Amino acid sequence: MRIIPREEYCIGCRLCEIHCIVQHSRSKDIIKAFKKEKRPVKRVEVEEEGHVSFALQCRHCDEAPCVTACLSGAMQRDAKTGVVTNDPDRCVGCWTCILVCPFGAVRRDEIDRRVVGKCDLCPDLDVPACVANCPNEALVLVEE
Amino acid sequence: METYDYAVVGNSAAAINAIDAIRERDPEGSIGLFCEEKYRCYSRPLISYLVAGEIRARGMYYRPANYYQRMKVDFHPGERVVSISPARKTLTTAGKAKARWRRLLLATGFAPFFPPIEGLEEVAYITFISWDDAKRMLGLTSRKVNALVIGAGLIGMKAAEALHARGAEVTVVEKLDRVLPLALDERASDLVAERCREAHIDIITGLSVSRLEGRGGNKGMAVLEDGANLHFDLLVMAVGVRPRTELAAAAGLPCERGMEVDEYQRTASRDIYAAGDAVKAMDVVLGEPSINALWPVAALQGKYAGMNMAGEETPYPGCNSMNAVEFFGLPVLSAGIVNPPDRGYQVITRRDDTGYRKAVLQGDVLVGMLMAGRIERAGILTSLIQEKANVKRMKKSLLDEGFGHINLPPAVRKERIEGAVAGLKLTQDAKTRGG
Repeated sequence: MRIIPREEYCIGCRLCEIHCIVQHSRSKDIIKAFKKEKRPVKRVEVEEEGHVSFALQCRHCDEAPCVTACLSGAMQRDAKTGVVTNDPDRCVGCWTCILVCPFGAVRRDEIDRRVVGKCDLCPDLDVPACVANCPNEALVLVEE
Repeated sequence: METYDYAVVGNSAAAINAIDAIRERDPEGSIGLFCEEKYRCYSRPLISYLVAGEIRARGMYYRPANYYQRMKVDFHPGERVVSISPARKTLTTAGKAKARWRRLLLATGFAPFFPPIEGLEEVAYITFISWDDAKRMLGLTSRKVNALVIGAGLIGMKAAEALHARGAEVTVVEKLDRVLPLALDERASDLVAERCREAHIDIITGLSVSRLEGRGGNKGMAVLEDGANLHFDLLVMAVGVRPRTELAAAAGLPCERGMEVDEYQRTASRDIYAAGDAVKAMDVVLGEPSINALWPVAALQGKYAGMNMAGEETPYPGCNSMNAVEFFGLPVLSAGIVNPPDRGYQVITRRDDTGYRKAVLQGDVLVGMLMAGRIERAGILTSLIQEKANVKRMKKSLLDEGFGHINLPPAVRKERIEGAVAGLKLTQDAKTRGG
Protein backbone atom coordinates (compact mmCIF):
# COMPACT_ATOMS: atom_id res chain seq x y z
CA MET A 1 0.00 0.00 0.00
CA ARG A 2 1.41 3.35 -1.02
CA ILE A 3 0.13 6.87 -1.28
CA ILE A 4 0.71 8.50 -4.64
CA PRO A 5 0.44 12.27 -5.04
CA ARG A 6 -1.18 13.71 -8.13
CA GLU A 7 0.31 17.14 -8.54
CA GLU A 8 -2.13 18.13 -11.28
CA TYR A 9 -4.92 17.99 -8.66
CA CYS A 10 -3.07 19.34 -5.63
CA ILE A 11 -4.29 22.82 -4.70
CA GLY A 12 -1.64 23.34 -2.01
CA CYS A 13 -4.20 23.77 0.77
CA ARG A 14 -2.13 21.71 3.24
CA LEU A 15 -5.22 20.11 4.76
CA CYS A 16 -3.30 16.81 4.54
CA GLU A 17 -0.68 18.18 6.90
CA ILE A 18 -3.34 19.36 9.33
CA HIS A 19 -5.28 16.09 9.35
CA CYS A 20 -2.03 14.15 9.69
CA ILE A 21 -1.17 16.15 12.80
CA VAL A 22 -4.66 15.64 14.24
CA GLN A 23 -4.60 11.91 13.57
CA HIS A 24 -1.24 11.55 15.33
CA SER A 25 -2.25 13.72 18.29
CA ARG A 26 -3.26 12.35 21.66
CA SER A 27 -6.92 13.43 21.48
CA LYS A 28 -7.34 13.23 17.70
CA ASP A 29 -9.35 16.45 18.11
CA ILE A 30 -8.29 19.30 15.86
CA ILE A 31 -8.76 22.07 18.39
CA LYS A 32 -7.10 20.23 21.24
CA ALA A 33 -4.31 19.05 18.97
CA PHE A 34 -3.47 22.55 17.82
CA LYS A 35 -4.32 24.54 20.91
CA LYS A 36 -4.00 22.46 24.06
CA GLU A 37 -1.70 19.50 23.50
CA LYS A 38 1.86 19.13 22.42
CA ARG A 39 1.54 19.22 18.67
CA PRO A 40 2.93 16.15 16.88
CA VAL A 41 5.16 16.59 13.86
CA LYS A 42 3.54 16.36 10.46
CA ARG A 43 4.29 13.16 8.63
CA VAL A 44 3.36 14.53 5.23
CA GLU A 45 4.73 17.66 3.66
CA VAL A 46 3.41 19.79 0.87
CA GLU A 47 6.13 20.90 -1.51
CA GLU A 48 5.23 23.98 -3.47
CA GLU A 49 6.76 26.25 -6.05
CA GLY A 50 4.83 28.60 -8.28
CA HIS A 51 1.72 26.81 -9.53
CA VAL A 52 3.00 23.33 -8.78
CA SER A 53 2.44 21.56 -5.49
CA PHE A 54 2.11 18.04 -4.16
CA ALA A 55 2.10 16.27 -0.84
CA LEU A 56 4.81 13.77 -0.02
CA GLN A 57 5.15 11.24 2.76
CA CYS A 58 7.19 8.07 3.38
CA ARG A 59 7.33 5.87 0.27
CA HIS A 60 7.66 2.69 2.36
CA CYS A 61 10.52 1.67 0.06
CA ASP A 62 11.10 -2.04 -0.56
CA GLU A 63 14.80 -1.59 0.12
CA ALA A 64 14.32 1.17 2.66
CA PRO A 65 17.61 2.96 3.40
CA CYS A 66 16.28 4.08 6.81
CA VAL A 67 15.79 0.48 7.92
CA THR A 68 19.29 -0.61 6.97
CA ALA A 69 20.87 2.51 8.46
CA CYS A 70 18.93 2.56 11.75
CA LEU A 71 21.37 2.24 14.65
CA SER A 72 18.99 0.81 17.21
CA GLY A 73 16.78 -1.48 15.14
CA ALA A 74 13.76 0.77 15.81
CA MET A 75 13.03 1.30 12.11
CA GLN A 76 11.61 -1.88 10.64
CA ARG A 77 9.81 -2.93 7.51
CA ASP A 78 6.99 -5.39 8.05
CA ALA A 79 7.69 -8.30 5.73
CA LYS A 80 3.98 -8.99 5.21
CA THR A 81 2.50 -5.51 4.83
CA GLY A 82 5.57 -3.71 3.53
CA VAL A 83 4.89 -0.84 5.92
CA VAL A 84 7.99 0.84 7.32
CA THR A 85 7.46 1.95 10.90
CA ASN A 86 9.59 3.40 13.65
CA ASP A 87 9.23 2.00 17.17
CA PRO A 88 9.49 5.08 19.39
CA ASP A 89 10.41 2.94 22.40
CA ARG A 90 13.55 1.77 20.68
CA CYS A 91 14.36 4.96 18.74
CA VAL A 92 17.19 6.99 20.31
CA GLY A 93 16.91 10.04 18.07
CA CYS A 94 20.31 9.67 16.38
CA TRP A 95 18.91 11.15 13.14
CA THR A 96 20.65 8.62 10.88
CA CYS A 97 17.35 7.92 9.11
CA ILE A 98 16.96 11.64 8.40
CA LEU A 99 20.44 11.54 6.88
CA VAL A 100 19.59 8.70 4.50
CA CYS A 101 15.90 9.11 3.60
CA PRO A 102 15.88 10.06 -0.13
CA PHE A 103 12.43 11.62 0.31
CA GLY A 104 13.05 13.75 3.36
CA ALA A 105 10.12 11.90 4.88
CA VAL A 106 11.46 11.43 8.41
CA ARG A 107 11.36 14.28 10.90
CA ARG A 108 12.57 14.98 14.39
CA ASP A 109 9.77 14.51 16.89
CA GLU A 110 10.81 15.90 20.24
CA ILE A 111 7.49 16.48 21.94
CA ASP A 112 8.00 13.77 24.56
CA ARG A 113 11.51 12.54 24.09
CA ARG A 114 13.97 12.62 21.22
CA VAL A 115 12.67 10.29 18.50
CA VAL A 116 11.72 10.51 14.84
CA GLY A 117 8.28 10.61 13.33
CA LYS A 118 7.21 9.39 9.94
CA CYS A 119 4.16 8.21 8.03
CA ASP A 120 2.72 4.99 9.44
CA LEU A 121 -0.14 4.86 6.90
CA CYS A 122 -2.56 5.46 9.82
CA PRO A 123 -2.93 1.86 11.07
CA ASP A 124 -6.14 2.72 12.97
CA LEU A 125 -7.94 4.00 9.89
CA ASP A 126 -9.24 2.31 6.78
CA VAL A 127 -7.87 5.14 4.67
CA PRO A 128 -4.94 7.29 5.86
CA ALA A 129 -6.01 10.70 7.15
CA CYS A 130 -4.19 12.67 4.46
CA VAL A 131 -5.86 10.72 1.68
CA ALA A 132 -9.30 10.71 3.28
CA ASN A 133 -9.25 14.47 3.87
CA CYS A 134 -7.81 15.68 0.61
CA PRO A 135 -10.59 17.85 -0.90
CA ASN A 136 -9.47 17.28 -4.48
CA GLU A 137 -8.34 13.65 -4.57
CA ALA A 138 -4.75 14.71 -5.05
CA LEU A 139 -3.60 11.82 -2.87
CA VAL A 140 -4.55 8.33 -3.90
CA LEU A 141 -4.05 5.06 -2.14
CA VAL A 142 -2.53 2.37 -4.32
CA GLU A 143 -2.77 -1.26 -3.27
CA GLU A 144 0.05 -3.47 -4.50
CA MET B 1 33.03 -31.45 13.75
CA GLU B 2 30.04 -29.27 12.95
CA THR B 3 29.65 -28.14 9.35
CA TYR B 4 27.82 -24.92 8.61
CA ASP B 5 26.49 -23.85 5.26
CA TYR B 6 27.26 -20.35 6.46
CA ALA B 7 29.69 -19.40 9.20
CA VAL B 8 29.82 -15.82 10.43
CA VAL B 9 32.64 -14.28 12.44
CA GLY B 10 31.32 -11.21 14.20
CA ASN B 11 28.01 -10.23 15.75
CA SER B 12 27.36 -6.61 14.91
CA ALA B 13 25.77 -4.59 12.09
CA ALA B 14 27.40 -6.42 9.17
CA ALA B 15 26.95 -9.92 10.64
CA ILE B 16 23.29 -9.49 11.58
CA ASN B 17 22.27 -7.84 8.32
CA ALA B 18 24.03 -10.63 6.46
CA ILE B 19 22.07 -13.23 8.42
CA ASP B 20 18.81 -11.39 7.72
CA ALA B 21 19.62 -11.39 4.01
CA ILE B 22 20.67 -15.06 3.99
CA ARG B 23 17.53 -16.22 5.79
CA GLU B 24 15.29 -14.26 3.46
CA ARG B 25 16.71 -16.34 0.61
CA ASP B 26 17.68 -19.61 2.25
CA PRO B 27 15.28 -20.60 5.03
CA GLU B 28 17.02 -23.89 5.83
CA GLY B 29 20.81 -23.60 5.34
CA SER B 30 22.69 -23.99 8.62
CA ILE B 31 24.25 -20.84 10.06
CA GLY B 32 26.88 -20.67 12.79
CA LEU B 33 27.82 -17.35 14.36
CA PHE B 34 31.01 -16.92 16.38
CA CYS B 35 31.88 -13.83 18.37
CA GLU B 36 34.26 -12.98 21.15
CA GLU B 37 31.79 -10.98 23.21
CA LYS B 38 29.23 -12.65 25.44
CA TYR B 39 26.35 -10.37 24.47
CA ARG B 40 23.54 -10.85 22.05
CA CYS B 41 23.88 -8.42 19.17
CA TYR B 42 23.78 -4.90 20.53
CA SER B 43 24.23 -1.55 18.90
CA ARG B 44 27.75 -0.31 19.59
CA PRO B 45 26.95 3.35 18.84
CA LEU B 46 24.37 3.30 21.63
CA ILE B 47 26.91 2.90 24.45
CA SER B 48 27.06 6.67 24.86
CA TYR B 49 23.26 6.78 25.24
CA LEU B 50 23.49 4.01 27.84
CA VAL B 51 26.16 5.75 29.91
CA ALA B 52 24.30 9.06 29.66
CA GLY B 53 21.19 7.35 31.05
CA GLU B 54 19.12 8.06 27.94
CA ILE B 55 18.41 4.38 27.39
CA ARG B 56 18.39 1.27 29.59
CA ALA B 57 20.23 -1.99 28.98
CA ARG B 58 17.32 -3.52 27.11
CA GLY B 59 17.41 -0.60 24.66
CA MET B 60 20.91 -1.69 23.62
CA TYR B 61 19.81 -4.79 21.75
CA TYR B 62 19.64 -4.52 17.97
CA ARG B 63 17.36 -7.53 17.64
CA PRO B 64 14.80 -9.26 19.92
CA ALA B 65 15.92 -11.87 22.48
CA ASN B 66 14.68 -14.79 20.39
CA TYR B 67 16.47 -13.58 17.25
CA TYR B 68 19.06 -16.36 16.93
CA GLN B 69 16.47 -19.01 17.65
CA ARG B 70 13.98 -17.56 15.20
CA MET B 71 16.64 -17.26 12.50
CA LYS B 72 17.92 -20.76 13.28
CA VAL B 73 21.41 -19.52 14.01
CA ASP B 74 23.82 -21.62 16.05
CA PHE B 75 25.02 -18.80 18.29
CA HIS B 76 28.49 -19.13 19.83
CA PRO B 77 28.94 -16.12 22.13
CA GLY B 78 32.31 -15.75 23.82
CA GLU B 79 33.97 -17.95 21.23
CA ARG B 80 36.65 -15.95 19.53
CA VAL B 81 37.81 -17.29 16.20
CA VAL B 82 41.62 -17.40 16.18
CA SER B 83 42.27 -18.86 12.75
CA ILE B 84 40.61 -19.81 9.50
CA SER B 85 41.77 -22.17 6.80
CA PRO B 86 40.56 -21.26 3.31
CA ALA B 87 41.94 -24.52 1.91
CA ARG B 88 40.28 -26.85 4.44
CA LYS B 89 37.30 -24.54 4.94
CA THR B 90 37.54 -24.66 8.69
CA LEU B 91 37.75 -22.22 11.55
CA THR B 92 39.27 -22.64 14.99
CA THR B 93 38.22 -20.85 18.15
CA ALA B 94 40.31 -19.77 21.13
CA GLY B 95 38.84 -22.74 23.00
CA LYS B 96 40.29 -24.99 20.27
CA ALA B 97 36.86 -25.88 18.90
CA LYS B 98 36.78 -26.40 15.16
CA ALA B 99 33.98 -26.01 12.66
CA ARG B 100 33.68 -26.52 8.93
CA TRP B 101 31.94 -24.03 6.67
CA ARG B 102 30.85 -23.89 3.09
CA ARG B 103 30.73 -20.11 3.00
CA LEU B 104 32.34 -17.82 5.53
CA LEU B 105 31.70 -14.18 6.39
CA LEU B 106 34.38 -12.16 8.12
CA ALA B 107 32.67 -9.28 9.91
CA THR B 108 35.44 -8.60 12.37
CA GLY B 109 35.02 -4.85 12.76
CA PHE B 110 37.57 -2.52 14.25
CA ALA B 111 39.78 -2.29 17.28
CA PRO B 112 41.10 0.78 19.05
CA PHE B 113 44.45 2.03 17.90
CA PHE B 114 46.97 3.27 20.47
CA PRO B 115 49.77 5.61 19.54
CA PRO B 116 53.08 5.13 21.34
CA ILE B 117 52.70 7.59 24.21
CA GLU B 118 55.36 7.39 26.90
CA GLY B 119 53.87 6.08 30.15
CA LEU B 120 50.61 4.81 28.63
CA GLU B 121 51.19 1.36 30.14
CA GLU B 122 51.34 2.95 33.62
CA VAL B 123 47.67 3.99 33.47
CA ALA B 124 44.60 1.75 33.63
CA TYR B 125 42.94 3.70 30.84
CA ILE B 126 39.66 2.71 29.20
CA THR B 127 38.42 2.70 25.62
CA PHE B 128 34.87 3.47 24.50
CA ILE B 129 33.76 1.02 21.87
CA SER B 130 32.05 -1.86 23.66
CA TRP B 131 29.31 -2.54 26.18
CA ASP B 132 31.98 -3.67 28.65
CA ASP B 133 33.68 -0.28 28.15
CA ALA B 134 30.37 1.41 28.94
CA LYS B 135 30.02 -0.66 32.11
CA ARG B 136 33.54 0.26 33.19
CA MET B 137 32.80 3.92 32.54
CA LEU B 138 29.57 3.73 34.55
CA GLY B 139 31.42 2.11 37.44
CA LEU B 140 34.24 4.62 37.42
CA THR B 141 31.89 7.60 37.35
CA SER B 142 29.69 6.60 40.29
CA ARG B 143 31.30 9.54 42.06
CA LYS B 144 32.44 12.85 40.59
CA VAL B 145 35.67 12.45 38.68
CA ASN B 146 38.05 14.42 36.51
CA ALA B 147 38.06 12.69 33.17
CA LEU B 148 40.51 13.17 30.33
CA VAL B 149 39.67 12.08 26.81
CA ILE B 150 42.52 11.84 24.31
CA GLY B 151 41.17 12.23 20.79
CA ALA B 152 38.24 14.33 19.57
CA GLY B 153 36.92 12.06 16.85
CA LEU B 154 33.44 10.62 17.03
CA ILE B 155 34.31 8.09 19.75
CA GLY B 156 36.17 10.62 21.87
CA MET B 157 33.44 13.24 21.63
CA LYS B 158 30.68 10.73 22.43
CA ALA B 159 32.76 9.57 25.41
CA ALA B 160 33.14 13.18 26.53
CA GLU B 161 29.41 13.78 26.25
CA ALA B 162 28.61 10.58 28.18
CA LEU B 163 31.12 11.45 30.92
CA HIS B 164 29.62 14.93 31.16
CA ALA B 165 26.18 13.40 31.60
CA ARG B 166 27.64 11.34 34.47
CA GLY B 167 28.68 14.55 36.21
CA ALA B 168 32.38 14.29 35.41
CA GLU B 169 34.64 17.27 34.82
CA VAL B 170 35.72 16.55 31.27
CA THR B 171 38.73 17.66 29.28
CA VAL B 172 39.30 16.62 25.67
CA VAL B 173 42.71 16.86 24.04
CA GLU B 174 42.96 16.67 20.25
CA LYS B 175 46.20 16.86 18.33
CA LEU B 176 44.56 18.32 15.21
CA ASP B 177 43.28 21.87 15.32
CA ARG B 178 39.57 21.08 15.81
CA VAL B 179 37.04 18.55 17.09
CA LEU B 180 35.57 15.93 14.75
CA PRO B 181 38.13 16.85 12.09
CA LEU B 182 37.12 14.08 9.67
CA ALA B 183 33.33 14.11 9.97
CA LEU B 184 32.84 17.88 9.98
CA ASP B 185 34.20 21.01 8.37
CA GLU B 186 35.83 23.82 10.28
CA ARG B 187 32.70 25.86 10.84
CA ALA B 188 30.65 22.90 12.09
CA SER B 189 33.53 21.79 14.31
CA ASP B 190 33.56 25.25 15.85
CA LEU B 191 29.80 25.14 16.43
CA VAL B 192 30.10 21.76 18.20
CA ALA B 193 33.11 22.89 20.25
CA GLU B 194 31.21 26.03 21.26
CA ARG B 195 28.27 23.94 22.54
CA CYS B 196 30.62 21.67 24.45
CA ARG B 197 32.47 24.58 26.03
CA GLU B 198 29.14 26.15 27.05
CA ALA B 199 28.43 22.86 28.84
CA HIS B 200 31.84 23.24 30.57
CA ILE B 201 33.65 20.55 28.67
CA ASP B 202 37.20 21.78 28.30
CA ILE B 203 38.46 21.33 24.76
CA ILE B 204 42.13 21.64 23.96
CA THR B 205 43.04 21.39 20.28
CA GLY B 206 46.27 21.57 18.33
CA LEU B 207 48.28 19.93 21.11
CA SER B 208 49.28 16.33 21.61
CA VAL B 209 50.02 14.46 24.81
CA SER B 210 53.76 13.99 25.08
CA ARG B 211 53.74 11.66 28.08
CA LEU B 212 51.57 10.12 30.77
CA GLU B 213 52.34 9.40 34.40
CA GLY B 214 50.43 6.81 36.37
CA ARG B 215 49.21 7.70 39.86
CA GLY B 216 47.87 4.27 40.69
CA GLY B 217 44.86 2.55 39.12
CA ASN B 218 42.93 4.76 36.76
CA LYS B 219 44.49 7.98 38.03
CA GLY B 220 47.34 9.82 36.42
CA MET B 221 48.63 12.93 34.78
CA ALA B 222 49.08 13.89 31.17
CA VAL B 223 51.81 16.25 30.07
CA LEU B 224 50.98 18.13 26.92
CA GLU B 225 53.59 19.17 24.39
CA ASP B 226 53.39 22.76 25.62
CA GLY B 227 54.29 21.54 29.11
CA ALA B 228 50.82 21.85 30.66
CA ASN B 229 49.89 19.17 33.21
CA LEU B 230 46.43 17.64 33.30
CA HIS B 231 45.52 15.46 36.29
CA PHE B 232 42.83 12.87 35.80
CA ASP B 233 40.93 10.21 37.72
CA LEU B 234 39.91 8.50 34.51
CA LEU B 235 41.53 8.40 31.08
CA VAL B 236 39.71 7.51 27.88
CA MET B 237 41.93 6.68 24.90
CA ALA B 238 40.08 7.55 21.69
CA VAL B 239 42.82 8.38 19.24
CA GLY B 240 41.57 6.18 16.46
CA VAL B 241 40.61 2.74 15.31
CA ARG B 242 42.11 0.17 12.98
CA PRO B 243 40.43 -2.57 10.94
CA ARG B 244 40.72 -6.03 12.47
CA THR B 245 42.27 -7.90 9.59
CA GLU B 246 44.39 -10.41 11.52
CA LEU B 247 42.31 -13.47 10.61
CA ALA B 248 42.26 -12.58 6.93
CA ALA B 249 45.93 -11.67 6.86
CA ALA B 250 47.00 -14.92 8.54
CA ALA B 251 44.95 -16.80 5.96
CA GLY B 252 46.81 -15.03 3.17
CA LEU B 253 43.94 -12.83 2.03
CA PRO B 254 44.87 -9.38 0.70
CA CYS B 255 44.20 -6.78 3.36
CA GLU B 256 46.39 -3.78 3.29
CA ARG B 257 44.64 -1.30 5.58
CA GLY B 258 41.36 -3.12 5.31
CA MET B 259 40.16 -6.38 3.83
CA GLU B 260 39.86 -6.25 0.06
CA VAL B 261 36.64 -7.45 -1.54
CA ASP B 262 35.12 -7.47 -5.01
CA GLU B 263 31.73 -5.94 -5.82
CA TYR B 264 30.03 -9.02 -4.35
CA GLN B 265 31.77 -8.54 -0.99
CA ARG B 266 33.91 -11.57 -1.79
CA THR B 267 37.55 -11.79 -0.79
CA ALA B 268 40.28 -13.31 -2.93
CA SER B 269 39.17 -16.69 -1.62
CA ARG B 270 36.04 -17.81 -3.46
CA ASP B 271 33.84 -18.75 -0.52
CA ILE B 272 35.05 -16.18 1.98
CA TYR B 273 33.14 -12.94 2.13
CA ALA B 274 33.84 -9.87 4.24
CA ALA B 275 31.74 -6.90 5.33
CA GLY B 276 31.77 -4.05 7.78
CA ASP B 277 34.29 -1.79 9.46
CA ALA B 278 37.31 -3.89 8.50
CA VAL B 279 36.52 -3.83 4.79
CA LYS B 280 37.51 -1.56 1.94
CA ALA B 281 34.41 -1.38 -0.26
CA MET B 282 33.32 0.98 -3.02
CA ASP B 283 32.88 4.57 -1.91
CA VAL B 284 30.62 6.09 -4.55
CA VAL B 285 31.82 9.61 -3.85
CA LEU B 286 35.53 8.85 -3.89
CA GLY B 287 35.08 6.44 -6.81
CA GLU B 288 37.37 3.87 -5.19
CA PRO B 289 37.27 1.34 -2.36
CA SER B 290 37.62 2.90 1.05
CA ILE B 291 37.02 2.05 4.69
CA ASN B 292 33.96 3.82 6.06
CA ALA B 293 33.78 2.40 9.57
CA LEU B 294 30.20 3.49 10.16
CA TRP B 295 27.17 1.53 11.33
CA PRO B 296 24.91 2.21 8.30
CA VAL B 297 27.70 1.32 5.87
CA ALA B 298 28.54 -1.89 7.73
CA ALA B 299 24.85 -2.84 7.76
CA LEU B 300 24.55 -2.25 4.02
CA GLN B 301 27.69 -4.25 3.23
CA GLY B 302 26.47 -7.07 5.45
CA LYS B 303 23.15 -7.14 3.65
CA TYR B 304 24.85 -7.47 0.26
CA ALA B 305 27.34 -10.04 1.53
CA GLY B 306 24.40 -12.08 2.80
CA MET B 307 22.52 -11.86 -0.50
CA ASN B 308 25.58 -13.01 -2.41
CA MET B 309 26.43 -15.76 0.06
CA ALA B 310 22.90 -17.10 -0.40
CA GLY B 311 23.48 -17.22 -4.13
CA GLU B 312 21.63 -14.12 -5.28
CA GLU B 313 24.46 -12.42 -7.11
CA THR B 314 23.90 -8.73 -6.53
CA PRO B 315 26.66 -6.15 -6.63
CA TYR B 316 27.08 -3.86 -3.64
CA PRO B 317 25.78 -0.46 -4.77
CA GLY B 318 28.52 1.34 -2.87
CA CYS B 319 28.12 3.85 -0.11
CA ASN B 320 29.94 6.87 1.22
CA SER B 321 31.10 8.56 4.36
CA MET B 322 28.16 9.84 6.41
CA ASN B 323 27.68 11.01 9.95
CA ALA B 324 24.77 12.00 12.14
CA VAL B 325 25.67 13.51 15.49
CA GLU B 326 24.11 15.74 18.07
CA PHE B 327 25.93 17.55 20.83
CA PHE B 328 24.03 19.49 23.45
CA GLY B 329 21.03 20.17 21.28
CA LEU B 330 22.97 20.86 18.09
CA PRO B 331 22.36 18.18 15.46
CA VAL B 332 24.86 17.94 12.63
CA LEU B 333 24.50 15.69 9.59
CA SER B 334 27.09 15.23 6.90
CA ALA B 335 27.65 13.04 3.86
CA GLY B 336 30.35 12.67 1.23
CA ILE B 337 33.17 15.18 0.95
CA VAL B 338 32.80 17.99 3.48
CA ASN B 339 36.45 19.08 3.39
CA PRO B 340 37.39 19.44 -0.31
CA PRO B 341 41.02 18.46 -0.76
CA ASP B 342 41.80 21.09 -3.40
CA ARG B 343 40.37 23.99 -5.37
CA GLY B 344 38.66 21.82 -7.94
CA TYR B 345 35.39 21.97 -5.99
CA GLN B 346 32.63 24.53 -5.68
CA VAL B 347 31.48 25.20 -2.15
CA ILE B 348 28.14 26.80 -1.34
CA THR B 349 27.39 27.71 2.26
CA ARG B 350 24.54 29.34 4.07
CA ARG B 351 24.38 30.59 7.62
CA ASP B 352 21.34 31.98 9.33
CA ASP B 353 19.63 31.81 12.70
CA THR B 354 18.41 28.26 11.97
CA GLY B 355 21.93 26.97 11.52
CA TYR B 356 24.61 26.29 8.97
CA ARG B 357 24.46 24.43 5.68
CA LYS B 358 27.02 23.52 3.11
CA ALA B 359 27.04 21.86 -0.30
CA VAL B 360 30.21 20.71 -2.06
CA LEU B 361 30.09 20.26 -5.82
CA GLN B 362 32.45 18.87 -8.40
CA GLY B 363 31.31 20.40 -11.66
CA ASP B 364 27.56 19.89 -11.71
CA VAL B 365 27.61 16.91 -9.36
CA LEU B 366 26.90 17.19 -5.66
CA VAL B 367 29.66 15.32 -3.78
CA GLY B 368 29.17 16.48 -0.22
CA MET B 369 26.77 18.15 2.17
CA LEU B 370 26.61 19.26 5.77
CA MET B 371 23.70 20.55 7.79
CA ALA B 372 23.93 21.85 11.34
CA GLY B 373 20.92 23.01 13.32
CA ARG B 374 18.02 22.57 10.93
CA ILE B 375 18.60 19.09 9.53
CA GLU B 376 15.19 18.19 8.13
CA ARG B 377 15.24 16.61 4.68
CA ALA B 378 19.02 16.24 4.61
CA GLY B 379 18.56 12.78 3.09
CA ILE B 380 17.39 14.28 -0.19
CA LEU B 381 20.86 15.75 -0.62
CA THR B 382 22.46 12.47 0.50
CA SER B 383 20.52 10.63 -2.19
CA LEU B 384 21.54 13.15 -4.87
CA ILE B 385 25.14 12.58 -3.81
CA GLN B 386 24.76 8.80 -4.05
CA GLU B 387 23.02 9.04 -7.41
CA LYS B 388 25.70 11.37 -8.76
CA ALA B 389 22.79 13.42 -10.04
CA ASN B 390 23.41 16.44 -12.22
CA VAL B 391 22.28 19.36 -10.09
CA LYS B 392 23.23 22.16 -12.48
CA ARG B 393 19.73 23.64 -12.56
CA MET B 394 19.22 23.40 -8.81
CA LYS B 395 22.47 24.78 -7.48
CA LYS B 396 20.87 27.97 -6.23
CA SER B 397 18.12 26.21 -4.35
CA LEU B 398 20.04 23.21 -2.92
CA LEU B 399 20.34 24.80 0.51
CA ASP B 400 16.87 26.37 0.60
CA GLU B 401 14.57 25.30 3.40
CA GLY B 402 11.95 24.23 0.87
CA PHE B 403 14.38 22.30 -1.34
CA GLY B 404 12.93 18.98 -2.33
CA HIS B 405 11.41 17.00 -5.12
CA ILE B 406 9.66 20.13 -6.34
CA ASN B 407 13.08 21.27 -7.57
CA LEU B 408 13.67 18.12 -9.61
CA PRO B 409 12.58 17.84 -13.26
CA PRO B 410 8.94 16.56 -13.33
CA ALA B 411 9.85 13.23 -14.98
CA VAL B 412 12.59 12.49 -12.44
CA ARG B 413 10.30 13.51 -9.62
CA LYS B 414 7.56 11.20 -10.83
CA GLU B 415 9.93 8.27 -11.20
CA ARG B 416 11.39 8.74 -7.74
CA ILE B 417 8.09 9.28 -5.97
CA GLU B 418 6.02 6.62 -7.68
CA GLY B 419 8.72 4.02 -7.89
CA ALA B 420 10.14 4.73 -4.44
CA VAL B 421 13.40 4.66 -6.34
CA ALA B 422 16.17 6.87 -5.15
CA GLY B 423 19.48 6.89 -3.43
CA LEU B 424 21.16 3.53 -3.77
CA LYS B 425 19.49 2.89 -7.05
CA LEU B 426 21.38 -0.26 -7.98
CA THR B 427 19.52 -2.12 -5.28
CA GLN B 428 16.26 -1.64 -7.08
CA ASP B 429 17.68 -2.29 -10.54
CA ALA B 430 19.38 -5.45 -9.40
CA LYS B 431 16.22 -6.63 -7.74
CA THR B 432 14.20 -6.15 -10.88
CA ARG B 433 16.74 -8.08 -12.90
CA GLY B 434 16.91 -10.84 -10.35
CA GLY B 435 13.24 -11.57 -10.38
